[in-house]
Amino acid sequence: MTEKRHYSVIVIGGGHAGCEAALASSRLGADTLLVTMNITTIALMPCNPSIGGPGKGHLVREIGALGGEMASCIDETCVQMKWLNTSKGPAVRSRRAQADKYLYRQRMINTLFEQENLDVRQGQVTEILVSDNKIQGIKLETGIKFLCERLIITSGTYLNARIILGRESWDGAPQNQKAAIGLSASLEENGIKMRRLQTATPPRVLKSSVDLSILRELPGDIDAGGFTWEDRLRRYEKQISCFLTFTDERSIEAVKRHMSESPLVLANITNEGPKHCPSIDRKLLKFPDMVRHQIFIEPEGWKSQELYLQGLTTGMPPVAQEDIVSSVVGLEKAVILRYGYAIEYDALAPGQFHKTMESRKIKGLYTAGQINGTSGYEEAAGQGLIAGINAILSLRGETPYWPSRTRSYLGVLVDDLSTWSRNEPYRITPGHAEFRLTLRDDSAERRLIEDGYRIGLVSKERYDKIFTWKKRIEDEIASMDELSLLPSSEAREIMSKTGTGDLKKPASGAELLQRPGMTYKSVIELLHKPSDSCLTAPDEIYALETEIKYRGYADRELERIKQTAFLETIRLPYEIEDERLKIINKEALEIMQSERYDDLSQMVRLNHFSRSELAILLAILNGEDCDNEAEEDNSNK
Amino acid sequence: MSKLKIDTIAALSTPAGRAAISLIRVSGPDTFEILKKVFKPGGKRAFPLHYSAYFGNIIEPETGYIADQVIVNTYLSPKSYTGEDLAEISTHGNPVIVSKVLSILFKNGARQAEKGEFTRRAFLNGKMDLLEVEALSQLLYASSTTQTRLALNQLDGLPSKYIAKIRQELLDQLVQLEASLNFPEDSIESIDENALKIKLQKILSELSLFADNARNGSMISEGLKVAIVGKPNAGKSSLMNYLLGRDRAIVTNIPGTTRDTLEESLIIDSLPVKLIDTAGLRKAENDIEAIGIERTEKAIETSFAVIGVFDGSQTPDSEDMAVLQRLKSLEKPVLIVQNKSDLPQQLNPDFLAGLEVIKASALKGEGMSELISSLSKTLKVNGISSLEEMVLLGASQVNALDKALTVLKRAEEGIGNMYQDMLAIDLEEAVRELGRVNGETVDVNTLDIIFERFCIGK
Repeated sequence: MTEKRHYSVIVIGGGHAGCEAALASSRLGADTLLVTMNITTIALMPCNPSIGGPGKGHLVREIGALGGEMASCIDETCVQMKWLNTSKGPAVRSRRAQADKYLYRQRMINTLFEQENLDVRQGQVTEILVSDNKIQGIKLETGIKFLCERLIITSGTYLNARIILGRESWDGAPQNQKAAIGLSASLEENGIKMRRLQTATPPRVLKSSVDLSILRELPGDIDAGGFTWEDRLRRYEKQISCFLTFTDERSIEAVKRHMSESPLVLANITNEGPKHCPSIDRKLLKFPDMVRHQIFIEPEGWKSQELYLQGLTTGMPPVAQEDIVSSVVGLEKAVILRYGYAIEYDALAPGQFHKTMESRKIKGLYTAGQINGTSGYEEAAGQGLIAGINAILSLRGETPYWPSRTRSYLGVLVDDLSTWSRNEPYRITPGHAEFRLTLRDDSAERRLIEDGYRIGLVSKERYDKIFTWKKRIEDEIASMDELSLLPSSEAREIMSKTGTGDLKKPASGAELLQRPGMTYKSVIELLHKPSDSCLTAPDEIYALETEIKYRGYADRELERIKQTAFLETIRLPYEIEDERLKIINKEALEIMQSERYDDLSQMVRLNHFSRSELAILLAILNGEDCDNEAEEDNSNK
Repeated sequence: MSKLKIDTIAALSTPAGRAAISLIRVSGPDTFEILKKVFKPGGKRAFPLHYSAYFGNIIEPETGYIADQVIVNTYLSPKSYTGEDLAEISTHGNPVIVSKVLSILFKNGARQAEKGEFTRRAFLNGKMDLLEVEALSQLLYASSTTQTRLALNQLDGLPSKYIAKIRQELLDQLVQLEASLNFPEDSIESIDENALKIKLQKILSELSLFADNARNGSMISEGLKVAIVGKPNAGKSSLMNYLLGRDRAIVTNIPGTTRDTLEESLIIDSLPVKLIDTAGLRKAENDIEAIGIERTEKAIETSFAVIGVFDGSQTPDSEDMAVLQRLKSLEKPVLIVQNKSDLPQQLNPDFLAGLEVIKASALKGEGMSELISSLSKTLKVNGISSLEEMVLLGASQVNALDKALTVLKRAEEGIGNMYQDMLAIDLEEAVRELGRVNGETVDVNTLDIIFERFCIGK
């Protein structure tokens, strides 16, 4: 049998972006090859052993809603599930899982190998093959070539990676792996601009050497549920805890003592590291008066003997790390199994890919994950999924999937990445989402299930189930508006007992629910609603209560959403000739055409056009767009 | 694909400032829908007919307040300058009136036109060819940011700094709040809701005061206050009646008839003025008069200028002395009217020496034009800067200020009952709107500030 050398889609890299991309592509029916430098480290979590949190957790749930893998994989392999921000409001409430890194990897590897249409091979890609600005294939260090229609590069932190530990540094990648040499140069040869970014990870210590008994225990929440819709009500009865300790004067003293050996001070590393995840030396440089820094001690798995020291990230040399670790309460005798390190790697310079993750330069080339200047497993997985989906849609000649920032964190992610330039790795948070009341964790499937089904990653069976659930919630919300309570003496007496005020005129169920302290349960009792027509599942009741109680805010958000969503539908052409364009700010027009932004919302957010220029563009582009649509319609037939 | 929705724009088309007439243009599909709400034409003609002029009032629909008597010229699409439905409203040439009319238009669906936007629309609708438009290139190629700033530049100096200060205070609170929402495990001190409530209350009262002072058109209803004082029967009410052209105050020859203060608004030389007819400063003989005198004192204190009225046909008595002393003690513009010039004059000129005296007869109308021009001059010389300050805000800025006030009020009331993420939504909107008021950046990038201010590292 001759080896297959031609695939529809090739994915380079087996990290979180690569896994999602390869699964999406193969599940959508394309013959797909995943090439990784090391099959053993597929789906590796080289840094923290957790998935989720505000913004990130939202992403994971959305990935699940669209039919991606990360959500169910972590649901099955987590050692702890926790609710965050429950007291601060529905928009920022999110779930965070502690992962069993080993199980997660194994589960994902199994999924890949069981997946139809998907081949996995080990090898280092050193070249991309391009002709006429169109991707043709890849070449491995062994000299073997694979041809493809679409290529998705998810190289993580591996491109020309350099590990830095104090004054020492060497070519290398996470977990003592090899750096990927060659691919970066090949990208540059083909006109892609690269830049250097850095990140770092903390030391791991031997569990039995840490005195957890004196530290604050941080257990999970049994009822936090999982990220996938199917697991939303799952109870995690068995969990293991994290622990919390703090640095003190001794630790600060230790960091200071070794500060001269910090890569930041030695300046033997690029400064473009993540602000949201600073190393302990960076924290001290930036906040010199702060003594008490939190250190979360996190297990790396059910049976793992390693503990992860969240908060002690550093690229300082081993002796410094030993001094710093042993200065912390509970860690005095801690044995470091793996030292922390800083890593510097090649990523794309900003502004080179579309919202579909496709290169603005080379047709058929997609990038996802850290190569695009992000940090985090969740951000990587989200991009991988979007890249995988779009690779297939474009193969089929179908309309690309550009998730709107008004409808999902995925949309916020791809829009932010393709619009803004940042000089540090990007991490998603609710702060990036201006429509966060709409993009709630609990509404992920209601927002995205149709998309997932239409794309083809959600089966009919799953879609039907989720659609029924969605409809049940939405019908009940509607009935809260329809049903009303008349101010009978009986009703008024009950209302006065609730302490939420008198009932002077008829009030709808929704109006009653909007009164402070009222719950769905109390409203259906007041309305004498037959119990068989009422919601009973806690998630459904939560969704209903949230939608109705915060309707005022949501409605205002909706107004703004309409504007953005409308602008997002106006796709930008790159060559456009229209006499009327001469009336528009030339500079902005040049940017629009040379930078190849995707839609008008980006131009507006970047403040390139005034409102009246926008009106003119709209008039012109509306005409253009109708033509484009007509063409697409034809090509679909 | 939804087709382009063109909105309706409005702007002052004549140069800003005082003039005989100011012209406000409104153009777009909703032009007449908006005008039907805010313009009450006289006569029975249908409105709007193409190319017609209508005389009538611009009215604030919710209050019925009449902003100005105007002439509206109507042009139906496509036969107009822009090619759209277009109306030209000729108002009295007073910036205060113009602002008020604009703000009424904006409240009812129009938006502020950008610089050159009428011309652009004309071009888009095939009303101008490119050569004509290119002749205006300087105007049209101006970058958007400059355009927006131009409109806001007028707000410079103290009020701007004041808004900036409040905006910064709110931004600090917002950053604190957002930090704890975005990074729940970074041991960021959560916000003290009680302290925030108190802070918001303080900001709300400061901001409301600012809004009251700055609110467009408030000067029309308020006007520059001018108190008319003098001893009873000196002719204050006659003077007021003359200026207003109608019998508003009760005029009798019984001293102390005007027991209350009477206020009337009028426009003097394009400046809005509120005349206050006082009860006199006569020693009270009964409770009702005592109340009147108290009000007189208050009117003097709060007015911008004071007109002192003396009866020229009589020798000044101790009461006239008292009035004169009071007037001389004032640190504000004072005009003296030596009234009843139609009667034989008994008043010794030395009595009023050193003061600007206008001899007049309110009853016969003598010396009145002199008084009006003198008053106008006084108001302009002394009042122009403060007037400018008062009306500094354009209608869109007032709109932004009002929005900020609304959301802040909701935030303040919501504290304790409302989740912090909603609170943050309101605070962010307030910060954004305040940025709009003084032309600072409108975008609020809290995340960058969070990373500067807090040690995030979980």
